[in-house]
Amino acid sequence: MTMHLLAKSDVPRFLSALSGRFEMYGPQVHPESGDVFFDLAADGSRIRLDAPIPVNSPKFAVFPHWERILSYAYDRENKEVKIIPEDLVRPKALVGVRACDLTGLLCFDRFFLGQEFVDEFYRAHRRKIFIVSVTCTAPFPQCFCVCTDSGPYAAEGYDVNLTDLGESYLLEPGSEAGRALAAELGLAEAGPDAARRRDEAVDRSISLFEAKAVENKAWISRAVNRLTTGFVKNETWEYIGKQCFECGACSFVCPSCSCFNIEDVNRQSGGTDRLRTWDSCSFEGYARMAGEHNPRRPVEDRRNKRFFCKLSYSQSKKYLRPGCVGCGRCVRVCPGDIGMTNVVTAIRRDITG
Amino acid sequence: MDMTRNAAAVSLPVPAEITQIREEIEDVKTFYFRFEDPELERSFPIRSGQFVMCTVFGAGEFAVSLPWSPEQDRRHLSVRSVGKVTSALHGLRVGDKIGIRGPFGNGFPFAELSGRNLIYVAGGIGLIPLRSSIVHALLHREDFGRIILLYGAKSSRELMYRPNIEEWRKRDGFETYVTIDRPEPGWDGETGFVHTLIEKANVPIENTTAFVCGPPVMFNAVIGELSRRGLKDDCIISTLERHMKCGIGKCQHCAIGRTLVCTDGPVYTYKQIKTLGETI
Amino acid sequence: MSYQTGVCNFCGTGCGHLMQVENGAVRGVFPSSTHPVGRGRLCVRGWHIHELLNTEERISRPQLRTDGALIPVFWDRALDEVALRLAGFSGGEIGFWASPRSSNEDIYSMVRLARAVFRSPNISLQSDAWYRSTVEVLREGSGRPGAYGSISDIRNADFILVVGTDLTRQNPIIASDIHFAARRGADVVTLSTRKTQMSRLSGTHLQNRPGTKKMVLAALAKVLLEADRGGASSAAVSIEGSDAFLKEMEGVNLDRIEQDCGLPLPTLRETALRLKAAPKAVFVFSTGISGLNRETVALIWNLFLVAGKAGRDGCAILPATGVSNLAGANDCGAGPGVLPGSGPLPDEAAAARFKGLWGAEAEIGPGRPVEDLLADASSKIKALVVCDHDPEINLYADRLKSLEYVVYLGSYANPFTDLAQAVLPTTTFVEADGTYTNTERRIQLNRRKVDPRFESRPAWEIFSALAARRGAFWPFRSSADVQEEITRAVPAYAGATHAALEAAFGGIQWPLGAERPFGPFRFVEAGLVSGPAPAGDEFPLRLMAGKSYYYWHQNNIMKKTFIPRREYNALLLLYPQGLVDVHPDDAAALGLRDKRPVRVVSARGAMTPLVRVTDEVPPGTVYAPYFVGAMIPDFLVPHAGAVERGEDAVIPVRLEKV
Repeated sequence: MTMHLLAKSDVPRFLSALSGRFEMYGPQVHPESGDVFFDLAADGSRIRLDAPIPVNSPKFAVFPHWERILSYAYDRENKEVKIIPEDLVRPKALVGVRACDLTGLLCFDRFFLGQEFVDEFYRAHRRKIFIVSVTCTAPFPQCFCVCTDSGPYAAEGYDVNLTDLGESYLLEPGSEAGRALAAELGLAEAGPDAARRRDEAVDRSISLFEAKAVENKAWISRAVNRLTTGFVKNETWEYIGKQCFECGACSFVCPSCSCFNIEDVNRQSGGTDRLRTWDSCSFEGYARMAGEHNPRRPVEDRRNKRFFCKLSYSQSKKYLRPGCVGCGRCVRVCPGDIGMTNVVTAIRRDITG
Repeated sequence: MDMTRNAAAVSLPVPAEITQIREEIEDVKTFYFRFEDPELERSFPIRSGQFVMCTVFGAGEFAVSLPWSPEQDRRHLSVRSVGKVTSALHGLRVGDKIGIRGPFGNGFPFAELSGRNLIYVAGGIGLIPLRSSIVHALLHREDFGRIILLYGAKSSRELMYRPNIEEWRKRDGFETYVTIDRPEPGWDGETGFVHTLIEKANVPIENTTAFVCGPPVMFNAVIGELSRRGLKDDCIISTLERHMKCGIGKCQHCAIGRTLVCTDGPVYTYKQIKTLGETI
Repeated sequence: MSYQTGVCNFCGTGCGHLMQVENGAVRGVFPSSTHPVGRGRLCVRGWHIHELLNTEERISRPQLRTDGALIPVFWDRALDEVALRLAGFSGGEIGFWASPRSSNEDIYSMVRLARAVFRSPNISLQSDAWYRSTVEVLREGSGRPGAYGSISDIRNADFILVVGTDLTRQNPIIASDIHFAARRGADVVTLSTRKTQMSRLSGTHLQNRPGTKKMVLAALAKVLLEADRGGASSAAVSIEGSDAFLKEMEGVNLDRIEQDCGLPLPTLRETALRLKAAPKAVFVFSTGISGLNRETVALIWNLFLVAGKAGRDGCAILPATGVSNLAGANDCGAGPGVLPGSGPLPDEAAAARFKGLWGAEAEIGPGRPVEDLLADASSKIKALVVCDHDPEINLYADRLKSLEYVVYLGSYANPFTDLAQAVLPTTTFVEADGTYTNTERRIQLNRRKVDPRFESRPAWEIFSALAARRGAFWPFRSSADVQEEITRAVPAYAGATHAALEAAFGGIQWPLGAERPFGPFRFVEAGLVSGPAPAGDEFPLRLMAGKSYYYWHQNNIMKKTFIPRREYNALLLLYPQGLVDVHPDDAAALGLRDKRPVRVVSARGAMTPLVRVTDEVPPGTVYAPYFVGAMIPDFLVPHAGAVERGEDAVIPVRLEKV
């Protein structure tokens, strides 16, 4: 597709074109705490395309932390039941999505839409999503997307990708909707050297990992191999399990973790809401059965469950890639210091002796 | 197996009316129901071994295996009261509504069972998920070799589907053995654990598939006995029960190792179960 | 932005979070990566606080009991009735039970209502005895009634001593800091009878026999004293209070220590010397229901002193508070023996301050804790005002039922509503502005994020309205006004107005303003340390009771969430009748099997829980996590003081196979 140049002075116009037709989400700096959140924005003025990687993954826009998926009212006296579906379809623009997070969304697509059954609630959320991804021209300390083949440049899945070339962004449409937007904004076509300049920016970004991505210790491929073949020692899982605080944070911040819980809650005002909320396979009660034993008891078993899901080949088949996208968020939120990079290191040590 | 499955109701529960309730054994009731929607009532295709998600309005949803057969058989669910939702179900009366999603799961591989001997071995409420298959096999009696039911429970009060069993006993070409753990007054049938019936029934091993369902202790004893007699692991099938929230392979609550019980199962061969790395 | 900054309201760590608010409702929560305490982390409870805030199990309307049933009424009617009925009692006849989850503003207003309007000095917190005695020890020892040092000292510490309960469960993020320190190379020592996750993450686990915690602490101090004697002069002698301390230490017989505590003397000696050599040492212990008594805390403080850590940069003593505002409630006077910001009563300066603030009529003398009044059959208590209290009904059931008038203020339905004559719905912490003070004296402002759900109102507003009905017109139009008065009432809080706190993300640690820093340091009297009573033939095992995994305040709050409730139920499911931990050796000797019932018999009572065979307890010890309500009345209550003494209480028992 034709590439365009988006002058930085034109970014507000670009964003307001989106906010006119979508609920717009993007990275914003919290005025009090300084945290960067990927969040709903009333207009484009709060969105900071150059902000550091957000603490939350954009997955919540298609897979909310807590949401009503349907409601019902049962009038027991008259034996009448009314089941009310929830309209979850909203046009949303996700702006400034980093390659790792976009890869997470693609994992979601393949998992929620591409297996035997389609998850209709996810599909409703996903239906009218417009994605503007950005190339990371420099990594952050926690990043290891180069090890998981999910960055710093997004290869697919966007409607529009932006790469910072200095005075302007290189705008690459990835879909018909993206192309139409570029045309509508009357953006100049990028010159013949644009692709080369983009590649240079990406190469420079990759070259910075050594110096800047200092928390990056992950050699994912060896760990994938080891996990898939089941040759990780029990002692390694025990070592990891001992340090787990069972808070669920790793799952909640993970761009590709999609485990959920469902609860029916009766409202004081009448009727019942069926809620879908985030969950984590690392919790002890996750797999329990009513009135029966818990088949997944020891904490180390539960730990390896999640890491299997992120790294093993069998799970990768569902995502068409490893589940881990190298965003490094689990490293930052883990009270037990067993984020993905440390786990991979532990598995490697186990391999090397 | 077809890769994209359909179910009558995937995401939204469809209302159904309870038409009859039967007390089976202590804490287990059978609920007969019919769908509100005449179209569904006319056609709600299932396979033996599948399950549905049942909503008890105001309490929640749970997974339950289907005891009715794909052919003419009244739709019903047999449920033990074990938690908040199932005990709420037990509080319902005839005329009350429930919600149904499904059917889900793979079901028993009947396409591969033609001409084989079918051995059903069940303990206690383990008969519930096998009932559909038994009824189905009897309706297609000519397709199979010997059909044998070996059923056991702790006491006579804990035997499921007694009217069915009485009826099956009378059928030609269906061998029924029922045992209770210990002798009790008025019981003139077999006593002892269910795996001891394997000997008594002179169970064939060649060209045989065994369906085994029941509590872990019974399951292991039966498997041990069948294996000792030479039945191969992939000729033993069972259905697994797991905590489920969605039924369609998304919530991951029922994940065991690489498999999801809701979509890959709930029916597995013992050969598959052995590789799962978790308890039954 | 839909994410709004706030402070987690569960435990007293005070982690910063951002609450996702959409369409007037809380829809999610995330840790703040920049918050000085949490630094991007939350625990399992904190990650699910939005589930609690969305619960439908709220008290929705004011209700008055009429003909035995609670009937919804309008607010004015309820307030008129409550004010009138309470006025019918004398001050000494009314007890006020405050909640350590309430904001400082709510606590302060309740104290003012009690003392200045109804003239009752009988105000207490459920955890009063524990935390109060802890901060009194620290006040005597360090000059300040609160933590000495900061949570952030943990990360840089060379030596960390953790005493008692499993911090990974009670204050997980503090435990996380300790874990990070250990991974950095800090020397982490845990003193606890049970193996816990905390002890497993420690380099050294001093697994003492039940009831010998004090002896071990005393032994560590004695080792240091003896080591010092070899030097030029003992530094300890120059510290105030050393005479009494040295005398106490004389009674400690190091030769018997292994026999009594089960810990080899060389291990204790090495540990003590490592502590002494460490430039930066931090002691952490938990307070609350499984807290440590005055003598134990005094020994912890004295060990800190004798090791030369007081006054040194990077050294800290942290009494980890189990509930969000336990420390603030204490600062704001929620105790019978103190006024807001005062020392133990009588306190002349405080008396003058409150005569000025509240008027000459205010009751400024000491009162009695509500628990004492309920337990004492001869007390005159007739009425009770209870705010957001987790049910302690089990402990005082009969007396509570016999009271003439009980008012319950709270957000969530709980068993107290069954015996209240009046029930008033209060806001949750996201529905009203309020300040909260964490373990390390950090005052944080938590802003209102959503409208009050149902008909709830902030407690301070309710107390104000009740006061007005008794002719006391308080100058509070917002919680900021209440906080402004607190900054004048509590000297250490001077300057901690809403405006100042708003400007300081992550809050401000007291003391503020002109308050003097810590010191002078002195030894605190701990009394003579004696060994545990020997186990007899009839009751050869020692039972200790304590917290369990996911058990938090009898779980009234946790039960209103999804995930934490499920995690609690996971254990309950396996052991529905409750459980006792028994060491595999003892289980084998007695023929006990896992998940089978066992009869636990003591001199005063018996119970039949299930056995959990685990090497988390040492041989000879039985541990009863009281997460099943019935274990308290059936077994623990007859043992006077067993519940109050928490893990220090040791009950001789025998186990009988059922």
